[in-house]
Amino acid sequence: MKFLNNMTLGQYVPVESPVHHLDPRCKIVAVLFCLVGIFMVRGPLGFTMWGLFFLALVGASRIPARLVLSTVKPVWILVAFTAAIHLFFTGGEPVFSWGILEVTREGVVMAARMGLRLMLLIMFAGLLTLTTSPTELADGLESLFSPFRRFGFPSHELAMMMTIALRFIPTLLNETERIMKAQIARGAELERGGPLKRLRAFIPVLVPLFVIVFQRADDLATAMEARNYTGGEGRTRMNPLQWTTGDSAAFAFSLLFSFAAVFLDGRVTLP
Amino acid sequence: MSIAVRDLVHIYHPGSPLQTRALDGVTFEAEKGSWVAVVGHTGSGKSTLAQHLNGLLLPTEGSVSVDGIQVRHGEGSLRLVRQKVGLVFQYPEQQLFEETVFKEVSFGPRNWGFQADHLEKSVEEALELVGIGRDLYEASPFRLSGGQKRRVAIASTLSSDPDYLVMDEPTAGLDSPGRRQLLGLLSDLKKLGKGIIHITHDMELALGLADTILVLDEGKSTLWGPPGVILGELLERDIRGLVIPDLVRFAGRLRDLGFEVPLTWEPKALAEAIGRSHGR
Repeated sequence: MKFLNNMTLGQYVPVESPVHHLDPRCKIVAVLFCLVGIFMVRGPLGFTMWGLFFLALVGASRIPARLVLSTVKPVWILVAFTAAIHLFFTGGEPVFSWGILEVTREGVVMAARMGLRLMLLIMFAGLLTLTTSPTELADGLESLFSPFRRFGFPSHELAMMMTIALRFIPTLLNETERIMKAQIARGAELERGGPLKRLRAFIPVLVPLFVIVFQRADDLATAMEARNYTGGEGRTRMNPLQWTTGDSAAFAFSLLFSFAAVFLDGRVTLP
Repeated sequence: MSIAVRDLVHIYHPGSPLQTRALDGVTFEAEKGSWVAVVGHTGSGKSTLAQHLNGLLLPTEGSVSVDGIQVRHGEGSLRLVRQKVGLVFQYPEQQLFEETVFKEVSFGPRNWGFQADHLEKSVEEALELVGIGRDLYEASPFRLSGGQKRRVAIASTLSSDPDYLVMDEPTAGLDSPGRRQLLGLLSDLKKLGKGIIHITHDMELALGLADTILVLDEGKSTLWGPPGVILGELLERDIRGLVIPDLVRFAGRLRDLGFEVPLTWEPKALAEAIGRSHGR
């Protein structure tokens, strides 16, 4: 029986590497610049540059290449679909036709461009979550959004919510699996019939799950209050974020690299 | 008529970095009308074993059969086995979802396709066995007390009239009257001819109640036999994570010192033996 055991969410891989040690704020903003940079390149030079940069990053992060590739797995259909659409529906000089489908030179170029672009986007973002723990990510976002606090933006609360939500995903998956098994043991058939019937069959799983979620939320709130949690005001951290010269260097490099890639790519015209 | 487990091996997440051998060669047989206690420390594979007995998990190697039916995919054998073997998880009160106690307890029989009057009868019988009165039939299960919830949850498995009942730590979190009541219920069910498979970490409980004890260690069945038979070896081997009752240790120590007392877990038997050796 296949249960929910192959879910990977927030797939942080805790190894020692220079990329892991970077300040999360540095990584978040640098990745944003890189994503924009990837969007703006069009030609082979630009993609080659980004590809090499990515390989260098993966090497430096000491994360197995297999895991990096697996970040594309959940969306590869989207990538393939996008590439196929561009392959077949771009007008231009035909190079190959098969029935009503016609492949043009421009189509091939567009398909390669869109496919590579999506893959790179996903893998860059994936590398961020592979090398940054969810807590670090939340801390980084909180710090990045803290200037907006004066306009009433609840940056601490959002970060806390995100941390708690991420923390509870595995727990709740376990609970779900346990309840599913308990109901199957009582003869429930969760995987038969049409969509409506299946939805109805899931009520015996959803109701207990909701009860457990509310109970856990309640317990957690009590536990936090018992430890005197009163919100972000005046709160100190166990691991305060520290921006080092290394972070400045890494940030400056990715910024320069993004500009360089876009600039050089623009200079080399397509064949 | 029995549940027969032969050389059962179960590997979680095979081929991934998370691969674990939760069960590593378990063999035993649980007869109808007998009480088998499966004892082991946390992580010894008890719960994994429990889930094999009604086909929630399937063996990686080896076999499980219930009254001669192999537990495996296909030919509806899984459904048949699940109806024959009722599995009550730890903290079963967390599975409650219906609007009323009666509906909750009829969930199982309805899934198995019991007909109207048969259904009603089995629900009433199950609720009577666990001591839930008619006045609570229309109550919401969520409004009951903790002990009542647990009993309703157990009734919701009993109502399908299983031949075997697998209970995973059924007394966890109950107070001592609740415990006694639940264990009394299990004894009654055994007398009714059902096979009880009681998963627990509590050796004292197992010694006092079970006909046969299976000791699991690191996913292997290390000891198998009636309490009196395995007791000596249990004391000798001192299996990690298993708490041996103080009285048994005491009796063992007395024997080491040359006293003629039986190795036992019963205070009365030990006291009488000591009394006899003093001529009383």
